Amino acid sequence: MSNRRSRSRQSGSSRITEEQISDLVSKLQDLLPEARLQSNARVPSARVLQETCNYIRNLHQEVDDLSERLSELLATSDMSSAQAAVIRSLLM
Amino acid sequence: MAGGKRTTARHQHNHPPPPPPNPSPNRGRGVADPPPASDDSPSSKRMLAFHFLRALARIHSTTPAPRRPRTIRRAAYSSMARAASPRRAWTQALLLRRARSRGVAVVGSSRRAVLLRRRVSASAPPPMLRASAGATSAAAPPVQGPPPRQAGEPARADALRRIVPGGAGMEYCSLLDETADYVLHLRAQVQLMQSLVDLFSPPNPTSN
Repeated sequence: MSNRRSRSRQSGSSRITEEQISDLVSKLQDLLPEARLQSNARVPSARVLQETCNYIRNLHQEVDDLSERLSELLATSDMSSAQAAVIRSLLM
Repeated sequence: MAGGKRTTARHQHNHPPPPPPNPSPNRGRGVADPPPASDDSPSSKRMLAFHFLRALARIHSTTPAPRRPRTIRRAAYSSMARAASPRRAWTQALLLRRARSRGVAVVGSSRRAVLLRRRVSASAPPPMLRASAGATSAAAPPVQGPPPRQAGEPARADALRRIVPGGAGMEYCSLLDETADYVLHLRAQVQLMQSLVDLFSPPNPTSN
């Protein structure tokens, strides 16, 4: 992994950096659910970061809940036929 | 998606999109990140499903019932990390965490252990891989405390560093980029697990 990006641009590219940060924050904002933020409105960076933290925590909680649910279902379902059905539907 | 050799260091994906028009003319090499839809590609979803389903099959046959929820959760994050780009800092952090926890109690097969070690050793530890904003790349060692706060960086960035894997030692620009990629894959994993729950559920929805 050769890092070609030289560090000589540190001193003279603060302007580019601000634009890049603005682009990255906008990209994060687009990933958030529509109900949280209005995508067309201009939202400060602190708000976008806060909403992103909340969104990630919600997704983490969903992984926990779904793990519990899958654990219960694995104990009762026939894995072979269910797995075939899952593969057929997900890989199409 | 194994094709990224060192000669193609700039291209994170197999199909790099055309760079967006950069308004600043000063050598416009901005962050030519692909649109969010490309990170959610069908091939990436297939990889995710492949890894997670294989893990579920193994858990179903080997893991005792009381330990299954925790094992499934860990398998979810490992599958995410494997389906994503191995050069991402958050994937390396997750796989490294997985390898360390597995080193204490080796439960998987030797083939899997070798595969994990190979992946971890093949990828370099520094979390600042995406130093696309070269002006702000700090020289601080990655394992130590967070870098000094950049001018204009919100205080909430520290909260992001705590919840994004590998974000502890990341500077602001890399943190934003890694967070976007992590959210995309985390959301895809949640959608996959929800699909599995729907399919595994009996046709009579009594739980709702």
